[in-house]
Amino acid sequence: MNDNLLENLSLIQEKTKYYSDVVVRPFALGDSGKAGAIIFVNGLADRELIDQHILKALMSIHVDQASITKNYIKNQVLSVSQLTEASSIDEFIPKVLLGSTALVIDGFSEALVIGTAKVKSRNIEEPISEALVRGPRAGFNETLSDNTALLRRHGENASLAFMSIQVGERAKKDLIIAYIMDIADPDLVEEVRRRVLKIDIDNVMESGYVEQLIEDNYLSPFPQVQSTERPDRVIAALMEGRVAILLDGTPFALIAPVTFSMLLQSPEDYYERWMAGTLLRLLRFFAALISLLTPAMYVSFISFHPGLIPTKLAISIVGARVGVPFTSLVEALIMEVAIEILREAGLRLPKPIGPAMGIVGGLIIGEAAVQAGIVSPILVIVVAITAISSFAIPQYSAGISLRMLRFVPMFCAAAFGMYGVILFFLMLCAHVVKLKSFGVPYASPAVPYRLSDWKDFFFRMPMFMMKQRPEMLHTKNQKRKRN
Amino acid sequence: MKITFNRTKYLLIGLCTCSLLIQTGCWSKDEIEELSIYVGVALDQAKETKLEAKLGKLAVNANDRKLLSVTLQIVNKQSEEKGGNSAGDPATKAYLNVSETGDSIIDMIRQLSTRMERPAIGHHLKVIVINEQLARHKSMYQLLDFFLRDNDIRPNCVVMMSSGLAKHTLEAKGNSIVPAFRLMGMLENRYRTLKIMPRMTLYKLEKHMHAESSYMLQNVVAAEGEVKLSGAAVIKGKTQKFRGLLNEEELLGVILLSGEAEGGIIKCVNEKTNEMIAYELKAMNSEIYTSVDGDNVSFDVKMKSEGRIIEDWSENSGPIDDAYRAGVEQSVEREIMRLAKQGLDKIQKEYKADVVGFGTRLSIEQPKLWQKVKKNWDQAFSRIPITYSVELTITETGTEKSQ
Repeated sequence: MNDNLLENLSLIQEKTKYYSDVVVRPFALGDSGKAGAIIFVNGLADRELIDQHILKALMSIHVDQASITKNYIKNQVLSVSQLTEASSIDEFIPKVLLGSTALVIDGFSEALVIGTAKVKSRNIEEPISEALVRGPRAGFNETLSDNTALLRRHGENASLAFMSIQVGERAKKDLIIAYIMDIADPDLVEEVRRRVLKIDIDNVMESGYVEQLIEDNYLSPFPQVQSTERPDRVIAALMEGRVAILLDGTPFALIAPVTFSMLLQSPEDYYERWMAGTLLRLLRFFAALISLLTPAMYVSFISFHPGLIPTKLAISIVGARVGVPFTSLVEALIMEVAIEILREAGLRLPKPIGPAMGIVGGLIIGEAAVQAGIVSPILVIVVAITAISSFAIPQYSAGISLRMLRFVPMFCAAAFGMYGVILFFLMLCAHVVKLKSFGVPYASPAVPYRLSDWKDFFFRMPMFMMKQRPEMLHTKNQKRKRN
Repeated sequence: MKITFNRTKYLLIGLCTCSLLIQTGCWSKDEIEELSIYVGVALDQAKETKLEAKLGKLAVNANDRKLLSVTLQIVNKQSEEKGGNSAGDPATKAYLNVSETGDSIIDMIRQLSTRMERPAIGHHLKVIVINEQLARHKSMYQLLDFFLRDNDIRPNCVVMMSSGLAKHTLEAKGNSIVPAFRLMGMLENRYRTLKIMPRMTLYKLEKHMHAESSYMLQNVVAAEGEVKLSGAAVIKGKTQKFRGLLNEEELLGVILLSGEAEGGIIKCVNEKTNEMIAYELKAMNSEIYTSVDGDNVSFDVKMKSEGRIIEDWSENSGPIDDAYRAGVEQSVEREIMRLAKQGLDKIQKEYKADVVGFGTRLSIEQPKLWQKVKKNWDQAFSRIPITYSVELTITETGTEKSQ
């Protein structure tokens, strides 16, 4: 850059000829006889700010040419907080493309870059994917600064640290690793940072990209990082000594490390009294088992172990199945796949049609399939229970895992009966026990056995008993209470 | 996390997986509706049904010896389904009885596969009814061997005896009844009457068989599609064959002696008023006391019972006071003694079969002596003096005529 405005402008024009949204606005600095120009991106920069505080101020200068210096402009004319200097065009163009406004003035060899970025952010609304009856009605939105603000606003906490890293080669995005300095294990923070820094991809669309690029085992059906839209959930995790990752442009924050039991927990377990919390939690563990194994149990009972069904039930099952032309596996597969299609279709449908679709699918197809003799009514019950149970799992990603997995034991059951189901379960357990999330065993505190962590596992013990942070996280400060 | 696989590791994983697959699992895949579930079995003396005779004439038969007839009660799914939907009586019976005559029970059951499209499975067998004449000649060892051996059949299947044709007990008039379930349901009524004995299941029976001890089987009689539990059949320990029947009163006496009553009515004549009075037994137990003098053994049975007066036909029995109570207690006690004597006389003197469990008591208290006598216990038992007493408490007299 030199100090000739016209040359600079033609240079800028040359550099920005492929950016049709870049606006170059020349103007005169009041009656001083000097000329300048502002460069900004239409739509990204705050027009009102530019008009009121930049253009208006600059155009109404009433001093002579000689006294217009860079410092004068900076200190006395521009009433904006964010202001930097750039000595070359290449230096300020990237900033302009993110919403800043560059100010070039005849006779200055440096441009002033004014922070005018205005992000249109969504309001803070209740998270759709994790609705609660009791608990804050706030969810993250797509703006990183709003999200970090939500975490800050939770309470005065000088040790809440945000570590900013840019990810993505072509589209650079801000990513923040949040942790609490005097709780989180420094090794864990370092490990998260190391993994995030290793992300080598041209574009990070959503935190799901980050999740998949930093997880331990890409072959596992289970999510090894928890994603959540709820600030309260993130804060609770931070306070336990976990680390959160927030990415610009998505309301989903990531929490690491995660254990299997966390996927079956809901913030409400803690907001409600401990008895209700415990019971609901047990119920969810039960629902997880049901959603995983019921269809397989059905297949193995029907095909292999008629003796294990209570006699009267066995007789009515026989009566119900007598006209069904398929084996139990085929029958179960038909209905399970049908219900998955229904669910998928229901998700994609516009909101007003969704419930209607559910009724059509659930009631009419189920009923008609029974009437037509394609499936037995018992199976419809089995499928319905399975589907409902999988909805009871509070984490969507964990729900998907179980929905996906439940087809495997069905085949095991069709091949080997109950024995196959047990084999499947053993292998699944072996996998879960071996799996780790950021160094923390996935099945903890069951394996490895840590009795003190069981207070917040199947049961949610009363608050006064949970004086310690989870042992598995090796926190710097174990105590939750002052004494 | 990088998992490094080398050949040995692959081989190991492969071998482990294969070894899991060749473990004995349940390979017998059969959809449930392709099977015939039989819930009851009746064993009778050999007598071919008309249908069997006709089929026998037409078929190229490998002459089996005709030793016994087996009747299987198979639940008929079609009608069961209809029965489930409509409240009324379905058009067809809920069950199907098929009979086969031959010499081996399992062979006869398997033979049915040549007559029916669905193989019969025994997982849900509830009751085995044995004809008394058959049990007179064939021992329980022979008759029940298959049922005890087969691992499909549950050991909690109940064994009963019928003084008539056993297969008649598996017949019902109505179309909604499955007779085997009806028999099971009737056995559940023990808390209402003293005339039903505790269920004798296959595993209890097996215990008796191996100990060569005597026992009773519930007797059931049938007529015109109705059944009645009546008395009990005594099986002798040594031979495991049917020895004789106890009538309802004798059975009652034996049940009272053994203390196995759960609840029921004892009716007697009130000695003061000469009118009928009914005592409802609520709880009872009995204890056998053994006393040994040299080689002479004697037993003393102490029966204790609590209950209430549930019916009294006397018109002017006066106030319900302690005297009234004592009078009733005495009458009922006398009646229990009478019943116990009747039952004991029958089993001790006539059948010479210890079905109450004196032997078990002796073996616990005098194991050395028991070793000497156990070989010929039933004989020895018939000569042992047994005394018994009863202690009755009337805890309530009902709401009528309260003090």
